[in-house]
Amino acid sequence: MADDLRVKDSIDKDTVAAAKALESDNYEAGFSTDIETEFAPQGLSPDTVRFISSKKEEPEWLLEWRLKAYERWLTMEEPDWAMVQYDPVKYQDIHYYAAPKAGAKYDSIDDVPEEILETYKKLGIPLREAEVLLGVEGAAETAAAARETPRVAVDAVFDSVSVATTFREELKQAGVIFMSISEAVHEHPELVKKYLGSVVPQSDNFFATLNSAVFSDGTFVYVPPGVRCPMELSTYFRMNAENTGQFERTLIVADKGAYVSYLEGCTAPMRDENQLHAAVVELVALDDAEIKYSTVQNWWPGDENGKGGIYNFVTKRGDCRGVRSKISWTQVETGSAVTWKYPSCVLRGDDSVGEFYSIAVTNGRQMADTGTKMIHLGQRTRSRIISKGISAGRSDNTYRGLVSIHGKAEQARNFTQCDSLLIGGDCGAHTVPYVENRCADAQLEHEATTTKLSEDQLFYVRQRGIGEEEAVALLVNGFVRDVLQHLPMEFAVEAQSLLKVSLEGSVG
Amino acid sequence: MPVMLELKDLIASVGDDEPKTILNGLSLNVPFGEVHAIMGPNGAGKSTLSYVLTGRHGYDVLSGKALLDGDDLLEMDPEARAAAGLFLSFQYPVEIPGVPVMTFVRTAMNAQRAVRGEPEISAPDFIKQARLVANELKLTPDMLMRPLNVGFSGGEKKRLEIFQMRMLEPRFAILDETDSGLDIDALRTVAEGVNVLRDEKRGMLVITHYQRLLDYIKPDKVHVLSAGRIITSGGPELALRLEKEGYDGIVGEAA
Amino acid sequence: MAINIPELRQKFSNPGIAELDLIARYASLPEDERRGRMFDAFAETGLPGRRVEGWRWTDVEAAAARLDGTVAPVVVPALSQPHDATVFALSPTELETPEQLPDGILVHRRDVVPALAEAENIPMAALAGSLCQYKDNAASIVIEITAPLSAPVYVNWVGQSADTNFSRLAIVVRSGASLDLVESYCGGASLSSTLVELKLEDNADVRRSLFHAGDAHEIMTATALVELAANARFVQTILSLGSLLSRFETRIGHTGTGSNATLNAAYLCGADRHCDITTFVRHGAPSCVTRQMTKGAVLAGGRGVFQGKFLVPRTIGQFTDADMQHQALLLEKGAEVFAKPELEIYADDVECAHGNTSGALDDEQLFYMRQRGIPLSRARALLTEAFVSEALASASPAVRDALHDTAREFLSEMHG
Repeated sequence: MADDLRVKDSIDKDTVAAAKALESDNYEAGFSTDIETEFAPQGLSPDTVRFISSKKEEPEWLLEWRLKAYERWLTMEEPDWAMVQYDPVKYQDIHYYAAPKAGAKYDSIDDVPEEILETYKKLGIPLREAEVLLGVEGAAETAAAARETPRVAVDAVFDSVSVATTFREELKQAGVIFMSISEAVHEHPELVKKYLGSVVPQSDNFFATLNSAVFSDGTFVYVPPGVRCPMELSTYFRMNAENTGQFERTLIVADKGAYVSYLEGCTAPMRDENQLHAAVVELVALDDAEIKYSTVQNWWPGDENGKGGIYNFVTKRGDCRGVRSKISWTQVETGSAVTWKYPSCVLRGDDSVGEFYSIAVTNGRQMADTGTKMIHLGQRTRSRIISKGISAGRSDNTYRGLVSIHGKAEQARNFTQCDSLLIGGDCGAHTVPYVENRCADAQLEHEATTTKLSEDQLFYVRQRGIGEEEAVALLVNGFVRDVLQHLPMEFAVEAQSLLKVSLEGSVG
Repeated sequence: MPVMLELKDLIASVGDDEPKTILNGLSLNVPFGEVHAIMGPNGAGKSTLSYVLTGRHGYDVLSGKALLDGDDLLEMDPEARAAAGLFLSFQYPVEIPGVPVMTFVRTAMNAQRAVRGEPEISAPDFIKQARLVANELKLTPDMLMRPLNVGFSGGEKKRLEIFQMRMLEPRFAILDETDSGLDIDALRTVAEGVNVLRDEKRGMLVITHYQRLLDYIKPDKVHVLSAGRIITSGGPELALRLEKEGYDGIVGEAA
Repeated sequence: MAINIPELRQKFSNPGIAELDLIARYASLPEDERRGRMFDAFAETGLPGRRVEGWRWTDVEAAAARLDGTVAPVVVPALSQPHDATVFALSPTELETPEQLPDGILVHRRDVVPALAEAENIPMAALAGSLCQYKDNAASIVIEITAPLSAPVYVNWVGQSADTNFSRLAIVVRSGASLDLVESYCGGASLSSTLVELKLEDNADVRRSLFHAGDAHEIMTATALVELAANARFVQTILSLGSLLSRFETRIGHTGTGSNATLNAAYLCGADRHCDITTFVRHGAPSCVTRQMTKGAVLAGGRGVFQGKFLVPRTIGQFTDADMQHQALLLEKGAEVFAKPELEIYADDVECAHGNTSGALDDEQLFYMRQRGIPLSRARALLTEAFVSEALASASPAVRDALHDTAREFLSEMHG
């Protein structure tokens, strides 16, 4: 048990060793797991779509839905407006489905191949309920340890397949449905049918439409009316197999008066080629419901010369469908070679609230174009955007956002603050906000600053005996504090150390 | 003396979305020539009363009446009430960037005069009078050129309120916590400014939390407001008693 | 060698009636390589519409389609001329100059069409450049300022009613010279695009004050390309009351160390009026300063657009100090305000900030004023005037009061 408790400690050793071996000490999650994998045929065709659908024994309606998306996708063009440049994605070279060969479905967690469990263990992801209960996540020296042991229910997605979901029984008692979306298709078809694509329609955008055609797995959450989900729900995504794309689809529905907090973490092994991640996340909050969605994204960013890394082209959108509903996005983006991601809120219900708290760190040759859209439709809807971008190395970091107040959104409010921090003279920091106000009694406020890491502050901290890297981490933590405090405690701790790792080598 | 301000069974609520009743059947008469003080604990409804009487949006009178010299205040827009001679010295005077004090006061003065069918004040007369009053209140000419309340200290803002009151010469003034944030010298200056306007044609309502101001502006009557109604009234000695015994005792006694 | 109209049409995708007119107009002009390049650049987008980034909120294409060519715009009176000003009137065919030019002002007429750098990024300016042709074979006009001027220079951009107006003017301000430039854009042409190229040499000092008002049958775009050499100072102030569609686009290039630009604008939009203030500032030299304040007030049926961008390139943009503010009031239901304040920064030792607000007048301020007896409509006008006047404070003393008066008059006609 002592060993289990020390899982988090042991990652550092294992991964640092693994990373060192690969001559890149900036990425802790960059190892792959050697297991047999079953692939879909390479490339995208109606047959690929049918293959995926039949692997999952899907009902006819879903296959039709996928095929319709595929047809649509063929007519669409890849967006080029973001401030990112990347080698064209070879859509016909990708495996759209990869699953551990032993079979996609495990009766019990004990059937999960030990190598996979080991992988998650190395990542510090508590998969076994026992480990979770023992609070493996909170290393003894962290602040989290001082609090009640966090309990997190985890759904782990390994390439295309969901491998294990913890705490299901307990959640079931509370009435919360938490399972992989492919299971949900069979067990709760009425819910999936009702909500799938209702926030991000099939034809929404190039990547979302691609996802609609080929999504492999993902998480489904339904919290029934009046239920406060008794624990944090979490999915951990990991891309393992070579030449694969990951196309997960997450659907979270909080029924009237329900509350759920959901955490998402992502990693992928270091590979020379680029891998595509085109996920879709849909959130639906009905009357008085609240969804809190937190992401720590640490996909492989590529090496310092820009070789390899994940293309993270993700569509995330929440629909505050009910009155007084609330959706809150918090993201810490440190990974991926290229990020194209705008977690958004459609504030449909009167008095609904949307929030976006973001930290985006780019280093090396990374390019991130990320932000949010707040669409105010209902009366007295409120939104708040706090974005902190940190650029280092030769990277480019762009905040792109839209605040749109429609004519009937009387007394709507928005506050936006986006701050950029430049570390070094070879990176770029950009801010591209679009603000549309069509309602005379709405109030909108937007502030943005771009500054460099203060040499005075850095010197002051170092004069007190703190090393340069540590000093940068300290100052950066101060810069992003407004956002960090919106993360669940155990995630905030992880995020802080991630920031530090991501910025290593950025000064001096 | 006949009644100047007559409040009868006022019930009023605050807030558009979830209205909350703050005034709960408040009745009060202030005769011509008198100064009445309203005292009460925090949350008693003191500021609400001043906003209800001056017609601020979001303060809704559900029933009761409020008459100024027989005219129904509740039927009027805020500016009509002002033209009828009702002046509020705000507890927190708002900053208005870009509008200089002089421009503002002159605009207000002439707007009121127009409603009353009086001729506009000429620019030289206005400037002369403004200098005179400003001097009495220890406001510099430079302050009068600055945007209204912008960059003024708490005490300066209060003096500027009294400056406006002196310039506009209202028939009935409500002073809402005018003493808060003032040191003793400023308090005296402000009080003197107010006392100049006391005569048999005017009335005043002095809202305050502390007795201190009443040493300088001597009230004819003191009312204690609690939970949205007057629970007891008396002479100036009531204020002294409140200062000594605190609100708890008197509020408890009245209940 | 005649210009082949069908070939030209091929360069446009689905040319509309207005574009066909422009093609015919272009074909009637003397052939010139640079003119051709500009017209090709224009043909890339045609009259720009909402699919063209930078024009999504100012859709010239749609507005041109809506224009009924049979109704001539009513010409709004031009900004009154300062009494001591040197007055130029620039029509689509000729620059009218005073008989006697004061010392320090030279006017040159040239028969060469000047090239337009980056024409492909500014389609309406490319259009102005390609269709501008003065009489007597003058293809371009340059005003040269060689000394500090004691009196303002007033340029009246005169349109020819009901038709189109494409004019181009270059102004060069020599090292150490200064210019107080006042321009009135009340041309009254149904479609106009003007282009001013302003070059400030080292230590030159220019204050540029612009006024525009037009009616609801008028599309106007006015582009200025401004180049600032070392320690040059440029202060620009715009008051626009809009027209069916109007856009002031100012592109500043800081090309010498220590130059300083102030870009202020106020727009007041009534019903069926559209004002667009677009700026692009490139900090292409170290230690340059930009200060920008745009204020707007919009009534029902009006639309205000603000697009600002600071580009700070790597290395040469070090020690940039730039601030951009846009604040707008939506005074009535049915008013619209769109904004895009943008930063693109590649140098680390910089201070860049922007702010954007839009909303209604402050309720507390309104109540305070009404409590003092000021009627609601008057209080609204006063507050709005105070709000926008901050952006007009930088205007030339020669027209500052006139601009304030215009703003006041507009606001006093506003219904409460």
